[in-house]
Amino acid sequence: MARHSYQQLTKHGTNDANCLLNPLAIAYAMKSIWKNYNTDNAYDELMSSEFQPRQISHRLCQYLHSLNADDIDKRKMAAELAILEMGISFTVYSDEGNIDRAWPFDIIPRIIASTEWRIIEKGLKQRLTALNCFIADIYSEQAFIKDGLMPAEIILSSKNFRKECVGMTPRHNVWANICGTDLVRDKDGIMYVLEDNLRVPSGVSYMLENRVITKRVFPELLQDIDILPIDDYPSRLQDMLTSLAPEHISKPQIVVLTPGIYNSAYFEHAYLAQQMGAQLVEGGDLVVNDDDCVYMRTIEGLEKVDVIYRRIDDDFLDPEVFRKDSSLGVPGLMRAWKAGNVSLSNAPGAGVADDKVVYAYVPEMIRYYLNEEPILPNVQTYLCGNPEHLEYVLAHLPELVVKPANESGGYGMLVGPHASSREIAAFRQIIQENPRNYIAQPTLAISTAPTLCKGQLEPRHIDLRPFILQGANTFVTAGGLTRVALKKGSLVVNSSQGGGSKDTWIINMERS
Amino acid sequence: MLSRSAERLYWLARYLERTENIARLVSVHMNLLMDLPNSVEMSWLQLVRINGAKQEFHEKYKVANEHNVTRFLLVDESYPGSLFSSLIAARENIRTSRDLLPDEAWEQVNEIYLFVKNNIDSVYNRSNRVAFLNEILKGCQRFTGLLSGYMSHNHPYQFIRLGKNIERADMTSRILDLASLLLAESRSNEMRQYESILWLNILKSLNAQLIYRQQVRSSVNGDDVLNFLLLNTSLPRSVGCCLAEIADCIDALPNNDALPDDLAKLKAYVQGIDIRQNTETQLRGILDDLQNKLGQLHDRIANNWFLQVIAD
Repeated sequence: MARHSYQQLTKHGTNDANCLLNPLAIAYAMKSIWKNYNTDNAYDELMSSEFQPRQISHRLCQYLHSLNADDIDKRKMAAELAILEMGISFTVYSDEGNIDRAWPFDIIPRIIASTEWRIIEKGLKQRLTALNCFIADIYSEQAFIKDGLMPAEIILSSKNFRKECVGMTPRHNVWANICGTDLVRDKDGIMYVLEDNLRVPSGVSYMLENRVITKRVFPELLQDIDILPIDDYPSRLQDMLTSLAPEHISKPQIVVLTPGIYNSAYFEHAYLAQQMGAQLVEGGDLVVNDDDCVYMRTIEGLEKVDVIYRRIDDDFLDPEVFRKDSSLGVPGLMRAWKAGNVSLSNAPGAGVADDKVVYAYVPEMIRYYLNEEPILPNVQTYLCGNPEHLEYVLAHLPELVVKPANESGGYGMLVGPHASSREIAAFRQIIQENPRNYIAQPTLAISTAPTLCKGQLEPRHIDLRPFILQGANTFVTAGGLTRVALKKGSLVVNSSQGGGSKDTWIINMERS
Repeated sequence: MLSRSAERLYWLARYLERTENIARLVSVHMNLLMDLPNSVEMSWLQLVRINGAKQEFHEKYKVANEHNVTRFLLVDESYPGSLFSSLIAARENIRTSRDLLPDEAWEQVNEIYLFVKNNIDSVYNRSNRVAFLNEILKGCQRFTGLLSGYMSHNHPYQFIRLGKNIERADMTSRILDLASLLLAESRSNEMRQYESILWLNILKSLNAQLIYRQQVRSSVNGDDVLNFLLLNTSLPRSVGCCLAEIADCIDALPNNDALPDDLAKLKAYVQGIDIRQNTETQLRGILDDLQNKLGQLHDRIANNWFLQVIAD
């Protein structure tokens, strides 16, 4: 269709706007920074072949070609400087103590067409709605289990099932208000759901800051292309949290509860609190009084708190109920929550659905609670707790990815094709000791996108974490956080494991 | 406003003011060195002494020369009173208070921090050091301007102002201390000859030269300068003006209890200082006393607003 637009790809082209370039000429023009580009191993988000941009990335590729290596270098440095000055950091826990690291960012954006995005968005809303029905059901009638759709022991053996929450009904009966769902695209070009993060998903501040940086680095480009804006997230979050306040309160006091300044996501907690104009509090700033209400300690004395966006795991939330040794939480918080005097978001116990075993049942939940077919497919999942599945998994370990059911951050997993025979043997042992705690999935050839590596563009594997808010209404971010495995060939995108991120553009294809 | 946040903002302001003041102090010392003839003895150790850090200095360095003292005061991370340590502490306090401040405030402090971190080696060379200190002073000024133009003058703002003025009053008294020390201990009479150059530099270091000329309208001499820098209530860096600012902040804050009375006493004490009746040594005693009284005021503030954090 838009072949003629390639004329701008080469500086040696003529000024004739209608001049068509043959593939060889394009290949010549693309030679420099695309020298090592190779799209053989996976679906590439921007390129349909080495030299052929997809329709969504035409304009970006044209633009990249108007820049020489020096220009690109300058922009990369400008991005790095912006990250340092804005102090966008995350903390890595290591033997040498906690180190605050600058957020690794790749300046080449990842692009998705709005036509595809509208379907994904619908699928994400459907999924979170079903998950919330499931959580509400699990803490009341457990019809899903009684109707034989899931074995009861999956819930009974889940460490995220909190018996203290049975019988509770949070506002709107929505338990997971903030969800980060990880999506990956396989070689077949289809987006799959990899996992639902329903406990304290992080990354949204990086999504927002990535756009701020891109605006600084590529201002010309952003003006030309119709990209859906994302910066309304903090106000959407505030609206959602407001909708959770106890019914008689119109202007609730909202706070963000952080584990503290040394937490790896502290930057994000502070950022969101600041953007919403909410107070950022630590456990020690809050107190629950005899009236079962939550107060914060202020210079004017105690002040009542109505909604808590908590970024602390259930385990540490309230030493009266959960871990006794927790100094991060607030004694009595669960009492206040159960009395309906304060809203906690996400609700305690919501993590029961953030379990890679429960994940395998989500398509069934969608059919059961919503009477709909799932829009977004799951990745084929083998549950090691199921003897037949276990047998298959043990026989195929070198091809599979094995994950613990309850961990996050990419810790404690086995990537079969990349593992040594010793690692595989060790995992075989671990799985057999505690099969309920492991799941396995085929190793996906997750999609790639061009990433700047030492002045050259190279394909690197990426995933996508959109954020979904559900309170009185449901909202999905336009795009999400694209994480990229910066190491060549690596499939692990977590920032704690050498991953970086990209800006994510949803391009409006309907208008242009 | 959370007690913990109040405490962090107060310390942010103190540390940042301290950063700026150490830069001023070293600048004025260097200026004096350049102005005064070689025959006038001027020890770098005085800078360490007025910061009350003589013992700490000698634990680390043998000789109090320019290299060691500037290193100690400016970039030594293991000395908590150094410029860089103060800046690190300011940055940590603002990093953990971002929810209360405009975005640019954090970015500004972070920028100064990155500048110092990347230019540590420039302090050893005199001309690089001048540029280094100027850049820090400018950065601190930008921060002050940014808050006054961008930030609501709410409780968080008052705590910042409070911290800044307590630190400032303390530092002004220390700079006066430096002058008295130089005069009292000068072994030759030569220093006396150049006294007015000394006082002129003191005025410059506190941005007070212009206002002094306008208001005092006499030649620059020790008694007048001391009086001016202690008692004037319109010069931002005079002790009298700092106390007036502190009183303002305290009035604007809730639950201020007995603090206004304490402050009235302190103001009366300062206004009662009569420079002409005292020798340099006595003056040093008075300035020490003033610093102690400011320390007591800090304790009262902490007890009144911050202590809820420590309660459990």
